[in-house]
Amino acid sequence: MKHNSIRMTLVAAGICLGLGGTAAAQTTPEEIQERGTVNIGMLVDFPPFGIINQQGQPDGYDADVAKLLAEDMGVEVNLVAVTGPNRIPYLLSNRVDLEVASLGITPERAERVDYSAPYAGISISLYGDGGLEISDPADLSGQTIGVARASTQDNALTAVAPDDATIQRFDDDASAVQALVSGQVPLIGASNTVIAELEGMAPDRFDTKFDLARQMQGIAVHPQSDELTAYLDDFLARMKENGELNAIHEKWLDAPLPDFVRTTSSAQEALDYYAE
Amino acid sequence: MIREFGPDEVVFILMAARWTLVLSAIAFAGGSVGGLLVAMARISPSRWLAGAAMVFIRFFQGTPPLMQLFLVFFGITIFGVDVAPLTAAAIALTLHASAFLGEIWRGCIQAVPSGQTEASWALGLRYGMRMRHIVLPQAARIAVAPTVGFAVQLIKVTSLASIIGFVELTRAGQIINNATYEPFMVFGLVALVYFAICWPLSLVARRMERRFARIAAR
Amino acid sequence: MNYNLDFAPVFARWPDLLSGAWVTLQLSFGAMALGLIVAVLGVWGRTAGPTPVQWLIAAYVEIIRNTPFIVQIFFIFFGLPALGIRFSPNVAALVALVINVTAYAIEILRAGIEAIPKGQTEAGTALAMSRLQIFRHVVFMPALRTVYPALTSQFIFLFLSTSVVSVISANDLTATGNDINAQTFASFEIYLVITAIYLVMSLGFSALFATIHRVAFSYPLSR
Repeated sequence: MKHNSIRMTLVAAGICLGLGGTAAAQTTPEEIQERGTVNIGMLVDFPPFGIINQQGQPDGYDADVAKLLAEDMGVEVNLVAVTGPNRIPYLLSNRVDLEVASLGITPERAERVDYSAPYAGISISLYGDGGLEISDPADLSGQTIGVARASTQDNALTAVAPDDATIQRFDDDASAVQALVSGQVPLIGASNTVIAELEGMAPDRFDTKFDLARQMQGIAVHPQSDELTAYLDDFLARMKENGELNAIHEKWLDAPLPDFVRTTSSAQEALDYYAE
Repeated sequence: MIREFGPDEVVFILMAARWTLVLSAIAFAGGSVGGLLVAMARISPSRWLAGAAMVFIRFFQGTPPLMQLFLVFFGITIFGVDVAPLTAAAIALTLHASAFLGEIWRGCIQAVPSGQTEASWALGLRYGMRMRHIVLPQAARIAVAPTVGFAVQLIKVTSLASIIGFVELTRAGQIINNATYEPFMVFGLVALVYFAICWPLSLVARRMERRFARIAAR
Repeated sequence: MNYNLDFAPVFARWPDLLSGAWVTLQLSFGAMALGLIVAVLGVWGRTAGPTPVQWLIAAYVEIIRNTPFIVQIFFIFFGLPALGIRFSPNVAALVALVINVTAYAIEILRAGIEAIPKGQTEAGTALAMSRLQIFRHVVFMPALRTVYPALTSQFIFLFLSTSVVSVISANDLTATGNDINAQTFASFEIYLVITAIYLVMSLGFSALFATIHRVAFSYPLSR
């Protein structure tokens, strides 16, 4: 029985190896326009970028950008709720055409997917209990910090945290924030939007300790979808120009689109920014 | 964006419970068909068939249901097929239920006294006739209680579909909790809804088990 | 783009996989041992305690058995701090597993105890055994022998349930897989390897339980 089970696993693996042929292919704007519907992946647990509204529908900054894009393409929009860890697998496995899913542009991710120019940006800081005296990474010695697994926060924090700091990785941002609010961790790596939200909920309980990184979020597409990327870059340039993107930003974040997002016109520029 | 945990949120969670029920129903229906096949294969005279059924059962009883979901969810797309979380969850849980029900029902079929089989031989009944008219009806009576018991287990396992992003009861609770920061209330309510679904089934299963034990003791 | 399975990034992380598997084993063995101890006390209270205690334990057993483990673990990790009860992720995971498995173990042990004929305990009383002696020698040990298969399959179920604890950032085997997935996106390869590790471990548990069964419960009884 023991041998059979193991053999079964191997057989399963073998079948996959043998048949693993077609899967993700590049996507073009024409293909989407012919179909008449664009499938766009987005987060629903990352306020205010992606939420479920009171009617139970996906909503938020990302949803509005997605709708604006569909309108621009002249197609119907089908918003697909994805989760943080599933975002890239969803795209690579063709479940969605593209993702307006608050996906930060990072060199690691850029190896797997292609990005448009940034459509949003957030700054990331270390944030936590007001009583803690922490002003730089060295002060994190012996502390426990919660982050979303493999997020920009995680990468930035892992790079600077001392060896004896404990980094607790949650499946998504919401769980890390939840852990801070419920007192399970004293500190988290968090974006300015999350921080604004927490300040509104519990003023004076927490404060910002120091800045970790800036992040620019791009629309993610299948690798080698150059036509689609070009289309998206052009779309974003026009929407930045005519102020529509800014209006959506004002609506959801009560602040204008950050300058560093507005002036960055391609994913490569965003990646160069990180390289500096 | 912080929301009060109000009536809208309660309704959202309650409405999501129907997806828990839908997923459970699909997996249970599919698992019943699959389970019957697995059980028949398991007791078939063909060693190859019986062995294959055994491996199938061992695999699903020996790996975490969460991994079964992940493998189907991430695995199917390798073959170039597009699956929604509901479809992936339905397929994974159908296979899961097939293995468990197959093993439960095999036990029930083999619990039918062998004299019954011998008597049907004596009457010259062929395999199909014997199974359909003599063995399976008697096995079915024995099977009701453990089958209902497994249904409860299956409903609980559907909660794992939340991890691949299917918005059923547990995932709805997570989403609301992330917007309200009221984990005590939210997960308390979610637990209550599961309890309201599962407990009556558990009671039915237990009552049937008792009744069967009494009949068997006679 | 063709999809070719590539296991290299997974095997490159084998030390992480090993330490994840070690946490999974610790959680499983810890929860089995603690769960069994608490369940023995619980079943004593459930069958021989005062009526309110019996009711309380019965309610606990029903609530746990009729709600999913993932909801229980969310409740314990995120909900209980509101009452001032706080655990680190791995400890919270262990606590949740113990609370979960204890409920099932109480129910299983109780079924075994109820199957002990009344005459046995009466014979114990006639032999002037104390209540504790009767519980231990006449009721509990024979009941344990009867329910051993059910109990050990529940333990294997517990072991498989540990894969859920990554949702509260415990660093078990599945969490290690999620980490590697988040960095390499080779989802299917990773979970295939992780599943195989779980399978080997669960077959190991089955073999271990079978050995214990042979050694501890063989007939005729050695004493």
